[in-house]
Amino acid sequence: MGEVGSLIAGAPIPAAPDLVRMRRDRGEKLQHQLGAAGLDGLVLMGTSAVAYATGAVAPAVDSSHAVLDRTVAIVVSGAPAAHLFTAHPEGAPSELPTEFVHGPLYPELDEGVTTIKRALDELFEPGARLGCDELTHAMLRGLPDREFTSAAAVLGAAKLCKTPDELACIRAAQRINELAMWDVQAMLRPGLRQTDLTARFLRRVFELGATTNAIDPIWQVMPTMRAGGPWTTHGDIAFPLATGDRLLREGDVIWVDSGITYQGYASDFGRTWIVGADPAPSARQQAQFDRWAAVVEAVLERCQPGTTALELGQTAIAANEGVKPWIEHFYLAHGVGTDSAEMPLIGTDLGASFDERLILQPGMVFVLEPVIWDDGAAGYRAEDIVAITDDGWVPLSAHPYDPFVGAW
Amino acid sequence: MSAAGGPGAGSIAGAGAGVLGLTGASDQIDFARLRAERRRRLFDAMAAGGVDVLVLGRPANVAYASGAQQLWTAGTRPFGPACLVVRSTGRVHLLSTWDAGVPPEIGHDELFGLSWNPAILASNLGAIAGLGDAAQVGTDGFSPGARQLLAALCPHAAVVDAAPVLSRARTPKTPDELACIVSAAGIAEAALSALVAALDPGVSERQLLGVYAEAIAGLGAPTPPTEAVVCATPRQGPVRLRRLATDRCLAPGELVVLNPGAFYAGYEGTLARTWVVGAMVPSPAQRRLAQRSRETLQAVLDACRAGTTGAELCRVWDSTGEAPPPEPFVRGVGLGAELPLIGHRVGQSAQLAAGTVLAVTAWVAVDGVGGVLEQDLVLVTDGEPARLTRYGRGPLA
Repeated sequence: MGEVGSLIAGAPIPAAPDLVRMRRDRGEKLQHQLGAAGLDGLVLMGTSAVAYATGAVAPAVDSSHAVLDRTVAIVVSGAPAAHLFTAHPEGAPSELPTEFVHGPLYPELDEGVTTIKRALDELFEPGARLGCDELTHAMLRGLPDREFTSAAAVLGAAKLCKTPDELACIRAAQRINELAMWDVQAMLRPGLRQTDLTARFLRRVFELGATTNAIDPIWQVMPTMRAGGPWTTHGDIAFPLATGDRLLREGDVIWVDSGITYQGYASDFGRTWIVGADPAPSARQQAQFDRWAAVVEAVLERCQPGTTALELGQTAIAANEGVKPWIEHFYLAHGVGTDSAEMPLIGTDLGASFDERLILQPGMVFVLEPVIWDDGAAGYRAEDIVAITDDGWVPLSAHPYDPFVGAW
Repeated sequence: MSAAGGPGAGSIAGAGAGVLGLTGASDQIDFARLRAERRRRLFDAMAAGGVDVLVLGRPANVAYASGAQQLWTAGTRPFGPACLVVRSTGRVHLLSTWDAGVPPEIGHDELFGLSWNPAILASNLGAIAGLGDAAQVGTDGFSPGARQLLAALCPHAAVVDAAPVLSRARTPKTPDELACIVSAAGIAEAALSALVAALDPGVSERQLLGVYAEAIAGLGAPTPPTEAVVCATPRQGPVRLRRLATDRCLAPGELVVLNPGAFYAGYEGTLARTWVVGAMVPSPAQRRLAQRSRETLQAVLDACRAGTTGAELCRVWDSTGEAPPPEPFVRGVGLGAELPLIGHRVGQSAQLAAGTVLAVTAWVAVDGVGGVLEQDLVLVTDGEPARLTRYGRGPLA
C-alpha cells in the first residue's frame, strides 16, 4: 500500500463535520471563483448545485417533481450568503439570515418567471454578467434582456477540491451506506428478489441517519460471459442496469452499487457479491478479485499531489497486463461530492489530453472503480473512495470484500 | 363523486391488475398497446404543433416517448439530449448504451451510447436522419451549452418549447395509463397501511420514512415519487407543514401526516391521511380539525371538472373558510408530477381538461392542536369526478 497521509492543506479531516464552517468555506470558494470568472452572479436550479451553493437540504424527489418544485439559488457577487428560494424553509441552514430565505419560485411557469425577474432586477443591474446551470423556456420568454453564460466553470472549480469538513460528510454518508450493506449482505439467499434487497437497504439507511436516498440501488446479476449480457453499442459490458423484481439464484454474481446522501454529500458503494448461504468464489473469480486489488494498490501508490490522471490510468492498465481495467462507457475513477459522479474523472472518452491536464491536488476525491473481466467468470467490480492529501491519500470508505478474501 | 370501481371509473381497464407480473394473467395491462398509443399521440401532437424534432432530456418525457426503463436518480438532471423524436422518419432515438429495458420497437440502430465528450455526443447525434434539416426543434429544457449543441446539429432550426406538444399528448390519460395509476395508488395505499402499523409512540419520522421505503420496495416498486412522506405535528405551540423527515420522535396522541406515493410502470399514485399516534382516542379538537380537512378536500374534489380554472378552485378553497395552504393544493399526476400546478400563488389561469388525473390535497392546522393533511387522486371527466384512491380515516373517521 502507498503512503497514507491524512492532512488536507495542513488540516485533519474532523471526526464530525462542522457544517457551519463547511458552508462558509464553500461560500467563500464560490465567491472567489465568481471573481475569477468575472461574473456578477449565478442563478442555479439543479438540485445538487443549489445544495452546494446554499447548504439547504430538501427531501429527495423524483425528477418530475424536482423540476416543478425546484429549489433555486441566486448567488450575488460580494454578498455574504446565497439567496435560497424554497418550499422547504425547514431545510435552510440555521445560520442563513432570514432575508436570504424566500418562498418557492416556479421557473417552469411564465407566472413564476415574473417573480424571478423581480428578484433579479432587485439583486442585479441591467446587463449584469450572470451564470446559470439550466434554463427553462419560460425563462427564455420572460427574461429577454438577461443573458446567461454557463456556470459550469465556476461550480466545477469551487467543487473540485474538498475541504476537510466536506470529506467528513462524504465519510459519514459512506459509513451509513456501508453499515446498511452489512444487513443486506447477511440476508442474501436464493429466492429473494432484487427489490427485497432494496427494501432492507432503504429501511436501514434511513434508520442510520441518511438525509436522502440518491439512486435506486443496483443489484445487477452479471452474465458469466460478455456474450450472455445485453447487446451494447460498444460491445463491452452493460452496467448499471435498473433493478427489477428478478429472483436471485444460488451462485448468481451480483454487482452492487448504491448511493445515499448525508447533508448533501453522496456516498458511493460498490462491491461484487455471490448469492448463497455460504458462497465461495471459484478460483477464476478469486483471481479476478486479486487482480482488482492489484490494480487499486498500484493506483494508490501513485496517488499524491502532482500526479496526473493520465499517469493513474496508465498505471492501472499496466497492472492489468495492458488491458484497460474499466468499462468502455465509464472510467477508472470519478469524483464524488454533492453529485454522485462529478469531476475529477479519469479514463473517460474525454481522452488522454484531458487526463493529462488533470493534476492531483489535496482535497480531490476519487472513487476508484476498476472492473476486471475474465470472460466466463462474471467479472469483479468494487468501488473504494480515497481523498488526496498533502502527501498521499486517505481512505473515505472501509468495507470488507466478502465473500472474496482480501490480499491486504 | 364516485370511488374507483364505481360507475365513474368503471371503464378503467385492468384496474385489478397484479403488480408483480408473475402470473401472466390476461387482466394485466397491455404495455405494447400503451406504448403504441403514446407514440401515436406524440407524433400527432408534433404534427399539430408543427414541430419536426423533439429533443428530450427529462426522464418522464423520455419514458413517455420511448417506453424504456431508466435508472432512477433523485432530483433534477442537467438538460441534455436523451431521446430524439423525428417526425419525418417516424423514429425515436434513445440514449442507451444497451438494449436491456428498451422496448422492441426501438432498434439497435436507434440507440446512441453514453458519452462524457460533447464532441462525441454531437457526432453521434449528427448521424440521426431528419435532424440536420429540421425547421422547428422542441426541447424540454435548456442550458447555455444546449444552445451551442443545437446550433451545430440543426443550424436552420428554430428552437421552441416542447411543453405544448408534450402536454397535448400526455395530459389526457388513456385507459391503460389510468390502470397504471390505479395500480400505483394500490401500492401507495399498501405503504400507508405499513406506516399506520408502525405508528408507535417513540418512533421517529426518519424511521417511518424507512418503513415507507421498505414497503414500496418490498412490493417491487422501489423508487419514491418523493421522500416527503411523514410529518408529525405538535399538540403544543405553532403547527407547520414540514416536508423533511427529522429524528423527532412521535408522542402519543399527536397527529401525524402520512403521505406515501409509489410508481407503477413509471406512473404515480399518491394519497395522504392523518393518524393519531398510539392507541389514543382523538380529542374533540382533533376531530373538528379532521372534519374541516375532509370538508375542504371534498369541496375541491367535487369542483375538479373539465373547464374549471385554477382561480375557480382557489375560490372553492376560500369558500370553506380555511386559510390558503402553504403548497399548491391541486397537481397533475401521470408519469410522475405533471402540470397543472394550482395554488393561491400559482396556476390561476390553468384550466382542467377531461382525462386529467389530479392529486388534491387539503391541509388545515390549529396551533396547540396539530395539523391534518389529506390527499386523494381524482380523474377529471366531462361529468362527475372519479376518485381513484381509497383509504379510511382510522381513529379520525
